[in-house]
Amino acid sequence: MKESSDMHVLPSTPVDRLRLYGVFFFFFAGFLYVIGGLVYRQLIQSNDLKEQSDTQSRRVVLRPPARGRIYDRNGFPLVDNRARWSVKADLASLQKEFRAEYLRLLAAEKAREAVSIDREKLMEDARVRVLQGWLNKVWFVIDETNRNTKGRKSVAKLTPVTAPAERQINIDELRKHLRERRALPFTLVNDLAFPGTGQALTADDGTKSVARFIEQFPVEGPIRLDQDNVRTYPYGAMAAHVLGYVKDTDTLPDNVDDISEVRVESMQKLRYTGKTGAAGVELSYNHILSGRSGWELWSKTSSGYNQTRLKYSEPEQGSNVMLSLDYRIQQATESGLAKLKDPQGNLLPAAAVMIDIHTGEILALASQPSFDPNRLADRVSSKYYDEIEKSGGWLNRTTQGLYPPGSTFKVITATAGMRKKVVDWDEILDCGPFFRVGNRDYPEHEPVGYGEVNLDKMLAVSCNVWNYQIGLRTGIEALAAESRRFGLDAPLLQTVSDMETAGQPMTELPYAASRGLVVPDRAYKLRIGAGAWNDGDTANLSIGQGYLLTTPLHMACVAASIARGETRTVPSIIHSKERTGRHVGAEPIGLNADQLDALRGGMLRCVEEGTARVARIPGLPYAGKTGTSEYFKKGEKAHLAWMIGYAPADNPVVAFAVLVEGQTDTNTWGGKTAGPVAKEMLETWWPIAVKANQDENSKAPR
Amino acid sequence: MDQNRQGARASYVALSVFVALWILAPSAVRRFNREAFVEFQAPALHLLGKSRDLATFWEKKSRSVEEMAAAGRDLARVNAALEIQINKYEDIRRENVRLREITHYNVPAEYMSVVARVATRDSSSWWQRIVIRKGRKDGIRPGAPVVFGNTVVGRVTAVHLTTSEVDLVTSPGFRCTAYLEGDEQNNIVLVNGVASNSLGTAKARVSVIPRDYSLLAGGQPTRVFTTGMGGVFPSRLILGYIDGGTYATQVGNFKESLLVPSRDLYNLQEVSVLVPLHQNPGEALIQGEDFQ
Repeated sequence: MKESSDMHVLPSTPVDRLRLYGVFFFFFAGFLYVIGGLVYRQLIQSNDLKEQSDTQSRRVVLRPPARGRIYDRNGFPLVDNRARWSVKADLASLQKEFRAEYLRLLAAEKAREAVSIDREKLMEDARVRVLQGWLNKVWFVIDETNRNTKGRKSVAKLTPVTAPAERQINIDELRKHLRERRALPFTLVNDLAFPGTGQALTADDGTKSVARFIEQFPVEGPIRLDQDNVRTYPYGAMAAHVLGYVKDTDTLPDNVDDISEVRVESMQKLRYTGKTGAAGVELSYNHILSGRSGWELWSKTSSGYNQTRLKYSEPEQGSNVMLSLDYRIQQATESGLAKLKDPQGNLLPAAAVMIDIHTGEILALASQPSFDPNRLADRVSSKYYDEIEKSGGWLNRTTQGLYPPGSTFKVITATAGMRKKVVDWDEILDCGPFFRVGNRDYPEHEPVGYGEVNLDKMLAVSCNVWNYQIGLRTGIEALAAESRRFGLDAPLLQTVSDMETAGQPMTELPYAASRGLVVPDRAYKLRIGAGAWNDGDTANLSIGQGYLLTTPLHMACVAASIARGETRTVPSIIHSKERTGRHVGAEPIGLNADQLDALRGGMLRCVEEGTARVARIPGLPYAGKTGTSEYFKKGEKAHLAWMIGYAPADNPVVAFAVLVEGQTDTNTWGGKTAGPVAKEMLETWWPIAVKANQDENSKAPR
Repeated sequence: MDQNRQGARASYVALSVFVALWILAPSAVRRFNREAFVEFQAPALHLLGKSRDLATFWEKKSRSVEEMAAAGRDLARVNAALEIQINKYEDIRRENVRLREITHYNVPAEYMSVVARVATRDSSSWWQRIVIRKGRKDGIRPGAPVVFGNTVVGRVTAVHLTTSEVDLVTSPGFRCTAYLEGDEQNNIVLVNGVASNSLGTAKARVSVIPRDYSLLAGGQPTRVFTTGMGGVFPSRLILGYIDGGTYATQVGNFKESLLVPSRDLYNLQEVSVLVPLHQNPGEALIQGEDFQ
């Protein structure tokens, strides 16, 4: 009986059996499909799916590193970082408070029987009110004038609109933050030590403000104390054109490849605002100073806030850069420049530079007017930016300013003449009050002329007529060629750095003049459409006037080259103990010993008894050449005061150049105006050099 | 058997109902319950502390006459030495008064000192928190610094009627500014307690140490002092000592180190609470006042 019933389980007819197998097959295929899908998802697709899930549920937050420091040649920090304490609100932790405030506002709106309720606006109001409440608490604690008397329950319900901006939540900033960086904490107070422009703080007050927050504000809660670095320039505006300044950047170097099991290319990245170089060495050596960003791997909440920090790596500070500047000489140079004022008491635009003649290292490089990079390091006020713009403070006159070198060029005219053998060191020329070229009289600056003048006297008194004559004898081709030999057409501070630039050429100071330098010749004059070259142009060029344009740094290099008896000096702003003293492109000056002695002797006489005698330093004989050239300022003729030279005269170590832009209504002369600056520089440098020499000798084996 | 099962079920239900009620209860109710529990156990804590004092008393009372005589002799010597010290300090005090009069320098007494016996360490956070036998009725206020001699013990974080909770220097909830001994620049550094495992020695982190600061030479322990700038702690109190050396952080601009508290903290019997005469703004925040 049982058997017979079992027999009936399977259909007896072929058709029914076929149907049954069909059903079996259908289920089997479905089962296979499910198993196959499972295998495919779990074994084959699992990595991709995990990555997809990670991408959606995690994000990387990049933290900017501290920038490297910049030192002077003796290791004094010229640029450093100071700790900045900021107060930030963790928006994720405030969600409940936002919601509660939103519901309260919504209830109030409903109670008011408002016709339409803008819920988005209400949510924004709620966020602002909650954050404002916390900001009030922060200010309540850090403002020392608050002395909570016993029984006092709270401050005002809402901060009045008349309150300083730093005491109010900036709605636009909040909107931007929520749109772009919702997951990052929102900054309530950017710098606790200097919490706002509405309240002037001394350094002590700033420290107290930080201390009060640290000790009085609860450690736990949605408001956090954050510490990062802010660029600081301990000497203020000193060497600002060399050091430069930094600006905000959202582009941080990604160094997150080392999160081993997570592929981060497709993952969302958020960046804290970092700093990047905007000018000077801060810009040109940005790749060295920048360091490596730190990263944090976070899991996200469904509403996009950071939830848990899964992994992190601290940022790494950038490398340091050691400049060739000596801050003591730099200070003296700037102090000398700061004494140059017009009758209204405004600073005269000026530049000064001192270089080591052997290595080419720049010991001081100053440009006036200047700016305080500290005021540009964080948030730049447009007022200060405009102030610098108006004063012309952005221009580094030493490396970017293009000027006719005036009589300082006479050393090149003399060299060209002697090399072309159109004059010798002891030849005496008759130099009257003017020299006729074509149908025009070219004047001497001394109304009665200088009479009999040789090379030595020419350099001492800066005789123009001697140069007109020798310039014409030499000719424009030889004069221009000599100028090029001394590198007046070559951009300076261009270097092939061996420091992380993979041998690529770079400029040590950004925007150092590489265009605009002019060594005029016949072709140049035709090119600018000024007609054919004539003897008058040659006469002008022979005294450093006319179309010739160069920078103070170029002229300092000319002085250094003459001191060494060579033609080229390659300056550098970077200090290196491995410099060989070989200068690329340099060749012997091409004068015999008598000629070179006469050239150098004339420059010494210029300081001892000539046009630069006002800058004479007893006990330190040095060589100099002054220059007063003409230029047009706002359509009116004005003077440029120059002085170049090297010291000491018998065993040269340093060379210098000083330039002062005179005003139209002032009396500006090379020796009288630029000389005192050179004097101040050398008077500071000399004892430093003597002491360094003594130290060196005491170290030497006896 | 069924009765047992029913009983077990009933207890599970009761537990569930209790947990649900606790979760759903308004925060004010929960806070009240927590406060009530603290007040409920306060007499027990008092009793515990007092019984410990009593035990110490009887332990000392059981000493032999010879021991007492020797101790008395030692004490007499110490007394004599202290007499000399007192005289020396009296001279210094007079000199101090004289200088203050000359310079018209007058420091107001900003704190009222309340001496309190330690009732117990909070077993939930060993090393991090102690309970003292003085509370609201004794004038203790939240946020007040707690010291032992010239050493900082911590800060009052919660005040009950007759007891108060004190976060120790090593508690993660403790944070203050400090000076390092030997730092002539008087740069402020940050001292922040760090969470430690229950078996380890509790320490605090000292951060933002200037990179050019060096510890005292000769292995002498470097003391860490309060700055007095934050408005909570008086200045020049000892927070502890730098443990080992300082190390540069990867960020590179500053150094960090660890701070070990003074050994006195390991066996505290009595502390002083420095209650500020004027309420500082931070107290209002601890009490959760509304600032919106």
